[in-house]
Amino acid sequence: MKISYNWIKEYVKLKANSEELAKGLTMSGSEVEGIESREGDQIMGLEITSNRPDCLNMVGMAREASAVFDVDLRLPDMGIAPAVAAPGGPEVECVIKNTDLCPKYTARIISGVNVSPGEGKISERIQSLGVRPVNNIVDITNFCLMESGQPLHAFDLDKIKGEKIIIREATDGEKITTIDGIERKLNKGMLVIADESDPIAIAGIMGGKNTEVTETTRNILLESAYFEPISIRRTGRVLALSSDSSYRFERGVDRGMINAASDRATALIVSEAGGTIHDFYEEGNLTAEKVSIDLDVDRAGNTLGILLGKDQVMHILQRLGMEVEDEGMSKIKVIVPTFREDLQKEIDLVEEIARIYGYDKIPTTVARIVPQIVRKEYSRRVIEKLHEVLPSAGLNEIMTYSLISEAAVQRHAAITKDPVELANPLSEDQKILTPQLLDGMLKSISWNINRNNKDLGLFEIGKIYSKGSGKEKFIETPALCVALSGVLRKNWSEDAREAHLYDLKGVIELVFRKMSISAGFKKTNIEGLKAATEVRLDGEKESIGFMGAVDKPLLNQYNIEQPVFIAQIKLDKVIEKATLATRYRAIPRFPFSSRDISILCDEALASSEIYNILSSSAEEIIRGVELVDTYEGKQIEAGKKSLTYSVKYGLDTRTLTDEEIDPVHSKIKDTLQKKLGVSFR
Amino acid sequence: MNALEKLEKIKIDVETALAEAKGAQEVDSVRVKYLGRKGELTSILRSLSDLSKEEKAEVGKRANILKGELVAKFTQAQNAMESEQSNSVGKEIDVTLPGIAPRVGTVHPLTRVMVRINEILISLGFKIAEGPEIESEFYNFEALNIPLDHPSRDAFDTFYIDKEYLLRSHTSNVQIHVMQNQAPPLQVIMPGRVYRPDAVDASHSFMFHQVEGLMVDKGIKFSDLKGVLSMFCKTMFGKDIETRLRPHFFPFTEPSCEVDISCIMCMGKGCRVCSGNGWLEILGAGMVNPKVFESVGYDPNEYTGFAFGMGVERIAMLLYGIEDIRLFYENDVRFLKQFK
Repeated sequence: MKISYNWIKEYVKLKANSEELAKGLTMSGSEVEGIESREGDQIMGLEITSNRPDCLNMVGMAREASAVFDVDLRLPDMGIAPAVAAPGGPEVECVIKNTDLCPKYTARIISGVNVSPGEGKISERIQSLGVRPVNNIVDITNFCLMESGQPLHAFDLDKIKGEKIIIREATDGEKITTIDGIERKLNKGMLVIADESDPIAIAGIMGGKNTEVTETTRNILLESAYFEPISIRRTGRVLALSSDSSYRFERGVDRGMINAASDRATALIVSEAGGTIHDFYEEGNLTAEKVSIDLDVDRAGNTLGILLGKDQVMHILQRLGMEVEDEGMSKIKVIVPTFREDLQKEIDLVEEIARIYGYDKIPTTVARIVPQIVRKEYSRRVIEKLHEVLPSAGLNEIMTYSLISEAAVQRHAAITKDPVELANPLSEDQKILTPQLLDGMLKSISWNINRNNKDLGLFEIGKIYSKGSGKEKFIETPALCVALSGVLRKNWSEDAREAHLYDLKGVIELVFRKMSISAGFKKTNIEGLKAATEVRLDGEKESIGFMGAVDKPLLNQYNIEQPVFIAQIKLDKVIEKATLATRYRAIPRFPFSSRDISILCDEALASSEIYNILSSSAEEIIRGVELVDTYEGKQIEAGKKSLTYSVKYGLDTRTLTDEEIDPVHSKIKDTLQKKLGVSFR
Repeated sequence: MNALEKLEKIKIDVETALAEAKGAQEVDSVRVKYLGRKGELTSILRSLSDLSKEEKAEVGKRANILKGELVAKFTQAQNAMESEQSNSVGKEIDVTLPGIAPRVGTVHPLTRVMVRINEILISLGFKIAEGPEIESEFYNFEALNIPLDHPSRDAFDTFYIDKEYLLRSHTSNVQIHVMQNQAPPLQVIMPGRVYRPDAVDASHSFMFHQVEGLMVDKGIKFSDLKGVLSMFCKTMFGKDIETRLRPHFFPFTEPSCEVDISCIMCMGKGCRVCSGNGWLEILGAGMVNPKVFESVGYDPNEYTGFAFGMGVERIAMLLYGIEDIRLFYENDVRFLKQFK
C-alpha cells in the first residue's frame, strides 16, 4: 500500500521528516519498502500485514504515526451527518437476501449532481497514491476509500431498472460486464448487487458497466456496506479479480465507519458537484460493539522482559485509539475501537505496547530452563555418518526436487508402487511426490554430462513417498541413492580407470561396514537395470534396495550415452540395524599365516557360495578369508573360471605350526570339492 | 715410507676413493680394502708388535684414531648411498609437478548450512525433532491459528494432496506434534523440507528447507527470544553482526517479529544485496500465540514460549554469495565441488 507524507501530515502534528517517518513506521510494524519523490511529496510503499486492515488508509497510518512519535492526531470531519435530507426525491428499496454475506447495506440518494473531470486537491491526492482519476464523483469515492478505508460505490441511479436494490447470490452462469469492460461469468455463492433484472455490481469487488457514473449522470446512489471477508475473498479468487475495494473488504473494514464514510462522501459530493441530498437507506443489522479486554500491566511486562509503568502503557494505548480505565493495582480495562478487530486478547495488547515501546529497547536475556540432555536422534546420527563416509569415498552430494512428472514416474514403473499425486500441481513437471531417487539422480547426471562434466560419483539422501494404508495414510521413507559414471580415477601418472559396478558395490559395502551391518547381494531382475542386484539385510526377508547398470533404453530417455551404475537403498531398516558404537577387539599378539587356494569352477558359480563355506567353517584357526584374484581366459578351459582366496590362520595364544595348519587347509579344500564340485589349480 | 707416513697416505687415499665411489657396493669395497681382514689399516694395526716401544705407542694411537675416523666416514657414505638407492622417486623428482590427490567428495551446501544451524542451536540447548512432509490441514494450519479462508493464509499458498492432506508449507507442523507428545519444558529445533506453489526462478523455488525453533516453559520472555536470536546470529554470521527486530504478523505468534541482521556484504553500509538499506531479513519469530497452546492442551496461563524460523536456502545464498536458488537443485559438479 502507498501513503503520502504530505497527506499524513494533514492528520497528525508530525515533526519527523519523511525518512524518520519511514524508519518509525518500519520499526513499529508497517514496513516501508521504498520512498519516491513526487511533486513535492514523498510517497512510501508499505507492507501492511494481513491482521492490520486499519492501516490500509491515511487516517489509520496517521494514527500509527501519532503513537510512534507521540504527537497529537487531528482527524478530518468524519461522521458529521449532512444537512437534513430534501423530501420528495427518488425512492428505492434495499433488500438484503443474504444477511450472512452482507450484514449491512446503506444507500444514499443524491440528485442533480454535475459530473465533471475531477480536479483540485481530491484528484491530486488520489493520483499521488497511484489511483487513476475518473470524474469528480468517482474520485470522491476513491478519496474516501483512501482516507478512511471504507470502500464506497456510486451508481447512476437512472440506469438502475426498477426501484429495488437487491443484495443476493448470483445464479449459476449469470453474467456481468464490470467497469473495466470485461464480461464475467458468475456462480452461485458469489454475492452481487442487483436491480430488479440484472446484477449491477459484484459486491465489494467491482461495479457494473451498466450503472457506471459518467459525464451524463444526474442522479446517483451512493453505496456503503459491510461484506463478509470470506465471501469477498472466495469470489475474488475464483474470478481472479482484486481491487482496492476487495483488498479491504476481504481483510475486514471498520464496522463503525459504514455510515460515517457515506456521510463524509455525501458532504464532499455536494460541495464539489452540487446536487441535493435525499434519503439515506440503511438495511441490515451489524453490531459494532466495542470489545473490552482486561490488561495486567505487570504480566505484560513479564512477558516482554521489561518493567512497564501503568501510565506509560495507558498513554500508548490511548495514542492507538483505545479507551482505558484504571482498574486499580496493575490492572487496566481497555476498550478496543471497532477498527481494531485484530485485538481480542490480552496478548494482542502486549504486542501493541511492545511495538510502540520499541522492540529495540527490550533487553536481551538468556532463559534459565531445566537443562536437558541433548542427544541427537539415532536416525540423524546415521545420516550424519553417511554425510561423512560417502564424501570420503569421493562422492559429491546432490539434492533434487521431491516433485516429479508423471512421465518420470512411468520411466521407473518397475520400482514404483502407489505414488502420491498433488491435487493442484503448479505444472506437469512437478506433479507427483517422487517414489524413487533414480529420476533425480539420472537428471543430475544428464545435466552434468551435457556440460562436459563426465566423470561423476554422486549420492543423494532424500525421501521417497508412497501411499500407505490404514492409519499410516502416506509413507515417507528416507533413502540413499548412489551413482557412478565415467572415469573414477585419472591423473598424469596412471592410466584412467573407468567406474565399474564393483566400484559401486564397494561403496555400498563400505556404508554397511561403517554401520556394522551385514547384508547380502543377490541377482534379480529389474526392468531398466542390467546385472540387477537385490540388497537384503542379513536375517531380513524384504530387500532394502537394489543396484545395477542402467540399461540403454532407460539411459536414452535421459540422453545419457555413457554407462551409469546406480543403487538405491532404503534407510529406515538401515537406521534401525546400524551400530555406530565401536568396541575394541584385542590386536592379535601372534602372527597369522596365509595360505592361498586357487579354485577352478564353472563360470556360473556365485563366488559367495565359496566364500560362505570358507568363512563359516567351524575351524577356529581360520581367522579371515579374502578373494585375491580372479581369472578367466586361455590358460583354463572354456566355461570355467579361477578364483584365488587367501585364508588366514592363527591363534591368539601362540603361533601355529605348519603341521597344525596343513590338515585344516586340506579339510576345507575337501569340503569345497564335495559341496561345490570344484577343482584346484 | 714409515708407518706414520703410511697412515697419512691411507687417510688421503680413502677420501679420494670415497669421493669417486659410485653406489653402496663400491663404498663397501673401499672399506674392505682398508678396514677388511686383510685391509691396509688392519695390517698396520696387526704389525704394531714389530715396532719399537715408542713407535708402537705413537703409531698405535694414531692408527686407532684413524680407524675411528674411517669407520665413521664409511658409515656416512654407506647411509648416503643407501638412502639414494632406496628413495623410489629417484634423484630427478620435479617438485613443481602437481601432486596426485586422493579423490574426496563434498556434502551439498544446503546440508552444510543446515548442519551448521543445527550445531549452533544444539549448543544452545535445543534438541532436533522431525515430522512428516505430507501433513493434514490441522497440523499445518488450524492448530497454528491459521483458519481456512482467512487472509493470513495468503502467505501460505499450499500444494494439496486431497481435501485433508497437503504438503507442509512450513516446518511449524512439527511444533504441534512435539507439544502434543511432550509436556514443557521443551526446547526443540525442527529442520526439514517445505513446499509452496511458487514458479521457479532465480529467487523462488516450490521446494525449500527451513529450520524452526521452539522453546516453552514457565516464565519464558520476549527478551529471552532476543537473547537466543542474537547469540544465533552472531555465531552464524560473525560476532560484529547487529540484529534488529521489526514487529510483524504471524498467526501462530504474538507478539511477532521479523529479524534483520546488518548486511554481511557491506557491514550495514548499504549495497545491492541489502537493497541499500544495510539490513537483511533473515528470520521470523515471536512469542507462541496462546491459541496455539490451547490447541495442543497447554495452559497458556502457566506457560509461555517463543518460536522462530528461517529459510536455509536464503542463508546459504547470503553466506556463499549465491545469486540463483536453482543452482542448489541443478547439481552441477562444478558448483558442488566448490564447497569444501
